[in-house]
Amino acid sequence: MPLDDDDNPTLSLSSSLNPPNGSSQTPAATTEDAPTPEDLLEDEGPSSQDFRLFKKNAHVSAQTIRKGEKDFESHGTLLQTNALEASRNAMGEVLSYTRVHASSGNLVRGWVFPEWWEGYSETREEGKAWGHIRDRVVVLEGSNTATQNLGRAVTGQEKGKPARGRDWLLPEEALYLVERGSLDLWWPKVGLEVVFPVEKAKTEEGVQGEEGEGEEEEEEGDEYAKGLPLSLQAAYALLIGEDGERGKVSLRQFQVYSNLKRCGYNVLRAPPKTEQAEQTKNGLGFWEWFTEILGSATTTKPKPFGPLVQPGLHRSYASIYRQMSLVPFHKPSATVTSEAEPPFEIHYHVWKSAQKWTKLRHPPPDFYLSVVDAQETNVPELGEISALIEATPLAPGKPEWTGPGRIYARLKHGHRNVLVAVVDHGVINYMRFAEAAFGEEKIYERFDTRNTGGNKGKGGGRGGRRGGRGGGRGGKSSGSRGRTGR
Amino acid sequence: MTQESVKKIRISRVPGGKAAGGRYLVFDIEDVISIRRNNGICAVLTGTMPQNPTQNLFLGLPVELRVEEVRLLVDSGAAYVAEELAEHLDALNKPNHEAYIDSLREKRVSAQKAFDEEKNRVRAMHADKMKDKRKKDTSASIAQPAGEGGDDSLFGGDAVPAPHTKKEEETKPLPAITPATSAQLVGVSAGVDVPIPPALPFYRHLNSKGYYTTPGLRFGGDYSVYPGDPFRYHAHYLANAYGWNEKIPMLDVVTSGRLGTAVKKSFLFGAEQPASTPEEDGRVRMFCVEWAGM
Repeated sequence: MPLDDDDNPTLSLSSSLNPPNGSSQTPAATTEDAPTPEDLLEDEGPSSQDFRLFKKNAHVSAQTIRKGEKDFESHGTLLQTNALEASRNAMGEVLSYTRVHASSGNLVRGWVFPEWWEGYSETREEGKAWGHIRDRVVVLEGSNTATQNLGRAVTGQEKGKPARGRDWLLPEEALYLVERGSLDLWWPKVGLEVVFPVEKAKTEEGVQGEEGEGEEEEEEGDEYAKGLPLSLQAAYALLIGEDGERGKVSLRQFQVYSNLKRCGYNVLRAPPKTEQAEQTKNGLGFWEWFTEILGSATTTKPKPFGPLVQPGLHRSYASIYRQMSLVPFHKPSATVTSEAEPPFEIHYHVWKSAQKWTKLRHPPPDFYLSVVDAQETNVPELGEISALIEATPLAPGKPEWTGPGRIYARLKHGHRNVLVAVVDHGVINYMRFAEAAFGEEKIYERFDTRNTGGNKGKGGGRGGRRGGRGGGRGGKSSGSRGRTGR
Repeated sequence: MTQESVKKIRISRVPGGKAAGGRYLVFDIEDVISIRRNNGICAVLTGTMPQNPTQNLFLGLPVELRVEEVRLLVDSGAAYVAEELAEHLDALNKPNHEAYIDSLREKRVSAQKAFDEEKNRVRAMHADKMKDKRKKDTSASIAQPAGEGGDDSLFGGDAVPAPHTKKEEETKPLPAITPATSAQLVGVSAGVDVPIPPALPFYRHLNSKGYYTTPGLRFGGDYSVYPGDPFRYHAHYLANAYGWNEKIPMLDVVTSGRLGTAVKKSFLFGAEQPASTPEEDGRVRMFCVEWAGM
């Protein structure tokens, strides 16, 4: 199938992922704007120059940006020049939009306090997602639909602490909110205790009714006394950093994060490696034990001499093939032999959009994601990719994928899998690496089943049927064994 | 226009990327349009569009540039590169931000104006609807006389948007805004140096011939090469840059050639022939491979 420029891979991604009427932050595209991400810039009114900058619906037709078919090459006509000019103007018009936070709505402000949690040491809380508290640099004032499910309040703080019970955002969360126009980011000129004064009366209600404090800021004379509002550029400057830098997010990770968020996924930073190992170990011991048992049952060591297939009465293909399987094959198990090293390590946990999902309590992730750079990373070596895959828990296929008919579905899905997002200067490509276990799919067990199909001509008289039938049954049960674990 | 020649484009450098010395972003839409128009650089829009933040088809500012593009702009004198974090911290820690605050206030006032305008428009629309509704009601009760064409003169008078909201707007604070750039905060800086990427001659050659490029990730090369602004044209080539003495595995040519053909492009590769004397520039040679399909 010939690909073309207009075959936007993200389009198919987003359309296949559009969640069923998801929560507030999930694509509105599913509802009213649904069929028309293309029409999104529709009905450009004859708006006057000044207001166009700020009009919420200063929309320009997508048709203007990408009018009809593209041309093969320049043919120097005025028509072509005009079309190009229209596209460029449309782009300019749409992108010169300024993010406005209406004064009538509730105020959502973020304050950058990069040092506040620097010395915090986090401990694992049972049943709760890892908080990454040390990396949280923006404290949230107020909330709206976009901020819900982002940020994290730091629990266990004493009464007298400023901004107690407030949500703190990770750099990527803050930057994403700023970029989508849902957060007014401020640089404080004063300390946290001045921005969020500790009041005796406030401390109780502050935990629940956070909005109440917004107004008192306004009453003060100079609204810029406490700090300065930051631009998008400043937000990038302050929040983008190197990979793994505390309180920062790398640009490529942010690009992937916001790409997924725009699609409607829930994305959380993966816990640190020590925690990951803890999690993958837990709860999957049974599976490991199960495969272990089955593994030892089927393999018998061949003798060092003599024929490969021992002479004897063979009533089924299975017994012959079993003796012939000399080459050891890879058996997926939950054991971790090596630790993932950068750049191939799990950076994000990703969930499909769901109503029930909350930032604190959620099911195991749907996807494990690693973010790498297209220019600076090579194809992972076996050691790198197996370590990366081992950092994810076993994810067996769907229970209905049993039997010989679904062998390719099982192989393709693999036993564990990981997504790798490759970023090339802002263009993202997602790849899925799965741990397939070909050795676990015993083709020969099917031969015996076929035998039972009543092949009269062949070996009817030798009792092949009985043996065949027995083998067939064996084949079936072993086909389903992979599934019984789940 | 005269200002254009004076004002240099500010390219923001943020950390990340070892060979390139960082990642390069442009935040000012004027600059983005300017480099697209005057320098043949379209680069990649990477940001979320605040007007419609739940889609990935149309993206917004900032624009991310390749280091080759940055180098080209810097060499041509059209742009400078600023170390954003250091400059911002510097500017934010200064005591005086009058200019920045003034510029913010100006924008907030015009935002408020736009809001009011919009509100009045909506109100007028509602008034129109009310009018229509009332017209129906009256025409139903008074049967005939409302009649033909007289609606406007009859009911237009009382449907004018009431100015009763004026007071509340005066007391209301201005809306807050988040500007796209920090131009008024950080000003213009001297600019920092950018490493010279090995592919620069190759890229510069393409650019000088009027070709636009985008990252080649989607089609399996270093660049996708367009014969003009990608708004109008499909990519003609997928391109890889090599070193002059670099051995190119035959298999690379075959695979890339096949790949290019599969996406209706040819595979372009080339390198710069080192100059024989230090004074003259190197010469770039390019080749184009297409799968013959014989």
